[in-house]
Amino acid sequence: MMLSRYRVLCCAAIASCLLGLPLAAAAATPVVEIEIRNHLFQPDVVRIPAGTKVKLIVYNRDPTPEEFESFELNREKVIMGGSKAVIFIGPLPPGEYPFFGEFNPHTALGKVIVEGDSDAAD
Amino acid sequence: MLLTSVVIVLREVLEAALMVSILLAMSRRMGLSLRWLSIAIVIGIAGAIAYANNLETVSGLFDGVGQELVNATLQSGVFLALLLTVFLVAWQHTRTPAPSRLLPAMMAVAVAFGVTQEGSEILVFVVGFIQVSDFFSSVAVGAVAGACIGFSIGILFYYVLLALGDTHAFRVSLCLLGLVAASMCLQVMQSLIQADVVSAQGSVWDTSNLISEDSLLGQLLYALIGYEASPTAFEVLAYAGSLVLVAIAVLLGNSLRVREERTST
Repeated sequence: MMLSRYRVLCCAAIASCLLGLPLAAAAATPVVEIEIRNHLFQPDVVRIPAGTKVKLIVYNRDPTPEEFESFELNREKVIMGGSKAVIFIGPLPPGEYPFFGEFNPHTALGKVIVEGDSDAAD
Repeated sequence: MLLTSVVIVLREVLEAALMVSILLAMSRRMGLSLRWLSIAIVIGIAGAIAYANNLETVSGLFDGVGQELVNATLQSGVFLALLLTVFLVAWQHTRTPAPSRLLPAMMAVAVAFGVTQEGSEILVFVVGFIQVSDFFSSVAVGAVAGACIGFSIGILFYYVLLALGDTHAFRVSLCLLGLVAASMCLQVMQSLIQADVVSAQGSVWDTSNLISEDSLLGQLLYALIGYEASPTAFEVLAYAGSLVLVAIAVLLGNSLRVREERTST
């Protein structure tokens, strides 16, 4: 167990510099979809289970671009008007993780609520 | 919208401007011609226009993580170019008449890639919102103001670096460049995690109560040393690992310089 973890760490160190091989297993990842309409997130609250990786698909229904950003989730991604973006989040421990649209930070506000057992998160 | 434009443009300009001012101060001290900078900025702006124009297509590539992979590539390019710059500066900064031509070339690569990435974000925002008639003046004024503030901080930083005494200047510049390089490496890791190429894990620590990432100080530290309030283990590893590589590059460069000086006397 320790050995495999160490190996993963070593691989990541190399990948960080060299854009190495994919490390993440392509398991079935739950998908959560949200929309941006009139510079608002719909829904603006996303509930996901603790300790689970989730594929967040954000549809930008506005003609203007938006940048999905979250300091708590360490995520940042530009979404052009009328297009969609895939953002992987988690696995996360329980808690609230606010996100916002950087181009409309006063209206485009939302949060991810991670629910469940903290033991499940690692 | 005015304040939003100022903040967005300032953030992106500042990141590029700080790196440029460190490289510029180094070139100035070594008496390099500054032609590399104009070439790098022209290429960088062309790259930013091309990237911004094709962002929607790029985003759709590789199952929707094309944007992350292109960003990771650009950030890796900046990192490798800075690593070589640090090595060449440590090796050749005392060489007369002039250091090798690889040095300005590497500086140009770092700036061109950096400007491509930061510039594309500015373009996407400005082009996207300036067409909305209600926003035209606030976006235009905000963008110009943000850019001016960013450039001013860069220029101020440049003169602070030049004002340092000769003995400290290279050491300080090399350290700063090393930190910028490490922050690039951290951003590469962050892009790869976001793209799910590298597995995500929990954060190792959280200093957002001390210095929030959206505070002024947090933004400044992010632009200069890649401050991250809640990094994951891989991000810390990438940052620390790249600092080690920078240190090795400096030591290697130094020993080559010492050997050259010994053989010439």
